[in-house]
Amino acid sequence: MALAEAVLATLILIATFALLIARQVRGAINCYAAQSILLGGLAIAMFAGSRLPHLLVLGLLTIGIKGIVIPAVVRYQVRGSSYQRREIAYYVGFPTALILGAGLSLVGLVAASRLPFHPYLLSEPVLGLAIAVILLGLFTTMARRDAVLQLAGLLAAENGLLLVGLVVSPELGLLIEFALVLDVVIGVAVMGFLIARMHETVASTDTSELSRLRG
Amino acid sequence: MTDSILLVAVVAVPLGAALVSLVCSLRFQIAIALLFQVVAFGLALTVIARVLQVGHIGAFAHWLYLDSLSSVVMLVVTIVSVLATFYSAGYLRHELHEKVIKSDELRKYFVLFHLFVFAMLLVTISGNLGLLWTAISATTLASAPLVDFYGSHEPLEAAWKYIVLTVAGSLLALLGLLLLYQSGVGPLGNSYDFSIPVLAGAAPHLSPTLAATAFLLILVGFGTKAGLAPMHSWLPDAHSQAPSPICAMLSGAELNCAMLGIFRVYTLTAAAAGAATLRTGMLVFGLLSMIVAVVFLISQRNFKRLLAYSSVEQMGLISVGVGLGNPLALIGALLLMVTHGFTKCLMFFATGNLLLRFRSTTIREIQGVVRAMPWTALLLVGGALAIAGAPPFGVFISEFSIIAGAFAGHLWVLGSLIAALLLLGFIPLVVPFHRMTFSNAETGGEVAQAELSTLTLLPAFILLGAVLVIGVWIPDPLDQLLHHAATVLTR
Repeated sequence: MALAEAVLATLILIATFALLIARQVRGAINCYAAQSILLGGLAIAMFAGSRLPHLLVLGLLTIGIKGIVIPAVVRYQVRGSSYQRREIAYYVGFPTALILGAGLSLVGLVAASRLPFHPYLLSEPVLGLAIAVILLGLFTTMARRDAVLQLAGLLAAENGLLLVGLVVSPELGLLIEFALVLDVVIGVAVMGFLIARMHETVASTDTSELSRLRG
Repeated sequence: MTDSILLVAVVAVPLGAALVSLVCSLRFQIAIALLFQVVAFGLALTVIARVLQVGHIGAFAHWLYLDSLSSVVMLVVTIVSVLATFYSAGYLRHELHEKVIKSDELRKYFVLFHLFVFAMLLVTISGNLGLLWTAISATTLASAPLVDFYGSHEPLEAAWKYIVLTVAGSLLALLGLLLLYQSGVGPLGNSYDFSIPVLAGAAPHLSPTLAATAFLLILVGFGTKAGLAPMHSWLPDAHSQAPSPICAMLSGAELNCAMLGIFRVYTLTAAAAGAATLRTGMLVFGLLSMIVAVVFLISQRNFKRLLAYSSVEQMGLISVGVGLGNPLALIGALLLMVTHGFTKCLMFFATGNLLLRFRSTTIREIQGVVRAMPWTALLLVGGALAIAGAPPFGVFISEFSIIAGAFAGHLWVLGSLIAALLLLGFIPLVVPFHRMTFSNAETGGEVAQAELSTLTLLPAFILLGAVLVIGVWIPDPLDQLLHHAATVLTR
C-alpha cells in the first residue's frame, strides 16, 4: 500500500517537472491534467487503505474537476491550433530552468526531513515530494512568460498543497479540501476571464506584452 | 445566541446586497448599495460595541470569532466601506454623465463591491483559520475584476499581476497553515478544531520548529497581500489602476485584513516558537518595505502610485511596530492601522476628484487646483500633510508612538532609522500635492471653479475630521479597543 502511494507521489513530481519544461501550451495543460489525475488516484489509494470516506470524495472531485473540467476550460479558452502548438518563451533558459527545478526539489525534500513530523497515513518522504511540487509550481509561474503557463504553475502548486494537506491532516475534515477546490474553481473563473480579456486586449497571452506599468 | 445572529448578520447583509444588486434594475443600484452598506455599518458598530463590553464573541463552535484585535480591523473596514459607497455613488454618477462607463457596468461594479466588502468583513470574524485563509483569498478574487474595471491595457496588466502574485502568496500562506495544524497535532491529537480559541489554549505546547516555519511562511504569504517588500511589486499597479473608490478600499481596508492574518498567527505561534524570533521577522520585512517605499516615493511622477508606495511604507511601519513588541509601539501600530486606513482612503477620494476633473494621474499635468476645486484643494493639502505624518493629525501620533516605543526599548539605532525614513518620505509626499494645488496653470483664466458634488466631498471631509480628532484626542471607546487589542498581541 505504502509503495503504491510513494510511486504515485513520485509520478506527481515528475508530472510537475514535465510542466516546467513543457514546450507547448497544449502539452503544459496535459501535464497539469495528468498531475491532478495522479493526485486524485493517490487520495483514492489512501481511501483503499484507511476507509476514510472523505478521501474517496476528495479523490473523485480532484480527478473530475482538476483532471478533466479545468483543463477543458483552459483548452477552450486558448483554442486555435496555432496558439496551442506554439513554442512558448521563458524568462530563464531551458537548461537553467531544469537545474534550478532540480535544486528546488532537493530543497523541498531536505526541508521536509528537517521538520518534526507526526506520520499519519503517508510517510515523511511524501511530504518532501509535496513541498517540492509546490516550489516547482511557483517556479513555473515565475519562469514562464505566458499567462496560461503562469496559471498552470499556480494550479500545480495548489495540487502540491493538497498533497501536503493529505500528508499532515487527513482528518481535517472537508474544510481545507473544500477551500482548495473552491479556490481553484473561482480562481479559474477569474483567471480564465482574465486570459480571455488578454486575448482580446493584447491579442496574446504573452505577459511580456503587459509591461507598461513601471516604477 | 444574539451574538451569533449579529455576527452572521454583519456578513450576510453585504452578501445579500450583492445578490439583490445582481437581480435588481440598474436604476436602483446606487440606492440599494447605500441602504445595505449603511445597515452593515450599523451592525458592525454594534458587534464592536459588544466586544468592548465582553472581550470577545464567538459563534458556531468557533467558526466565527471576534475579539478586540479583529475589531480594530473591522472598524476600519466598515467605516472605509460605508464612506466608499457614498463616494462611489458620486464618482460613478459623474463617470456615467461623462460617458466613461456605460450604465450596465453599474451592476458589475456594485455586485463586486458588495462581495469585496463581504470578504473583508468575513476576514475579521473568521474564527477558523481555514475560513480566515479562504476569506483573505476571497478579497483578491472579488477585487481583481474591479481593478480591471476600466478594461483597457494597463488595468488588465495590473489585475493580472495582482492575481498571480497574491495567489502565489496565499498558496505559501496555506502551506504555513497546514504546518501550523501539524504543530498542534502533538498536544491536541490528530483531529482537532483548527480555530483561534483552541490553538490559543494549546499555544505553549505547539511544536516550536513547525510553529516558527508556519509563521514565516504566513508572514511571506499574507505579507505579499499586505504589500510588504520585496513581494510588493503588484501593489503600486493595482492600487493605481483601479477606480478611485476601489483604490481607497484596497489601500485603506484590504491591506489591514492581510495584516490581521499575520498578527493572528503571530499571537498563536509566539508562545511556542519564541516571540523574539518571530518579531525579528516582522522587523526585517517591515524595515525593508519602508526603505524600498521611500526610494520609490522620491522618484514618483504619478500621484496614485505615490499614494500606493506610501501604503507600502505605512504597512512596513505597522509591521515594525508589532515587531518591536512593547506596549507603546503596539498601540502605535494598531492606531496606525486605523489612522492610515482613514487618511489613505481620504487621499484616494480627493485624488479621485482630481482624476474626474483633469483626466490625468501625472503630477506635472495638473495645476491650479485651488482655483478650480477649492474644497478638493483643502482635502489634498490637509490629507497630504496628514498622510506624511505632520502633527496634529492621527498618523503623526501613531508614528510618534512607534518611534517612542523603539526608544523605550533602548533600540536607539532602530528608532532613529525609522524616524529618518519617515522624514525622508515626508517631502516627496507633501510637495507634489502642494504643487498641484497652488501652482498657476498657464491657461489660468480659463479654469472655471467647479466642484463635482457633495457626495464626492463629504465622505473625504468626514475622514479628514476623524484623523484630526484622533490626532488631538483619542475617543475613549477607541482607546479601550486599542489597549485590549495590544493585550491580545502580547498574550
